[in-house]
Amino acid sequence: MFELVTWPRNPWSIFDELESLQTDMNRTFTDLGYGRPWRGGATYPLMNVWSSTNGIIVDAELPGVDPKEVDISIRGDVLTLRGKVSAEGARKGEAYHRRERPTGEFTRTIQLPFRANEDAVKASYKNGVLRLTVSRSEEEKKKKIVVEAA
Amino acid sequence: MADTEVVRREEPFPATSPGPTVQRIQAPETDSIYVPDVDIYEDSERVRLMADMPGVDQTSMNVTVENNVLTIEGQARVDGPQGYELVGQEYGVGKYRREFTLSDAVEVQGIKARMQHGVLEVTIPKREEAKTRKIKIET
Repeated sequence: MFELVTWPRNPWSIFDELESLQTDMNRTFTDLGYGRPWRGGATYPLMNVWSSTNGIIVDAELPGVDPKEVDISIRGDVLTLRGKVSAEGARKGEAYHRRERPTGEFTRTIQLPFRANEDAVKASYKNGVLRLTVSRSEEEKKKKIVVEAA
Repeated sequence: MADTEVVRREEPFPATSPGPTVQRIQAPETDSIYVPDVDIYEDSERVRLMADMPGVDQTSMNVTVENNVLTIEGQARVDGPQGYELVGQEYGVGKYRREFTLSDAVEVQGIKARMQHGVLEVTIPKREEAKTRKIKIET
């Protein structure tokens, strides 16, 4: 049984899909703090996505989080990132002059162009950027179909 | 354009001031300059500044003070994965830069800065005279 999977070629439409998925899913991003509005709107974390025949790489800007506190899960072709950011806030005896950094809990889901298991995900955290490498399994890799001459 | 602001003990805390909007400036060398989000806290002993600069490590971070202006500047870097094509982009990678005017209440010599996980923490101690003293009320 074949299932036709379409992966849009337009580089921007990956996020059209993400947006529609987000409104359906539970998305909490509480307490943007005081000061100016967070530039991502309600989207957190911001992500850049790369693609190849081997799989997908997602870079998410997550400065100052404890990587152990970030929950990464895959179900089918849906990747979910969940965690807490900048939880510290003001220490005892402190008052604030400015609070601009995003703070609170976040949940974000993105739809991959293929299905994957959790063991297909490798995560690394460097300088505040979380990089997720999701590899395509053999069955999901695109197969080259030879066009025979008539 | 830099954001300059005064960090002064007697300034009322900005409960509702909107602050500057995010600026993205196209520098002549076509490297974008971003204004990092900051949290500024103050207690009786020191002023503490936390700035989000993901993608910057401590070797590409510059913290300088000149004429009571504190400048934080960092170059973000990304290792573009080999053999992959960028299919979606929500954030740009470039320079971060922001300036702050320090008041006379702080002791610039004692500035300390550290960088971890893309967050810069700068602490500036207050001058002895500026530290809050608790005054005992006599009965």
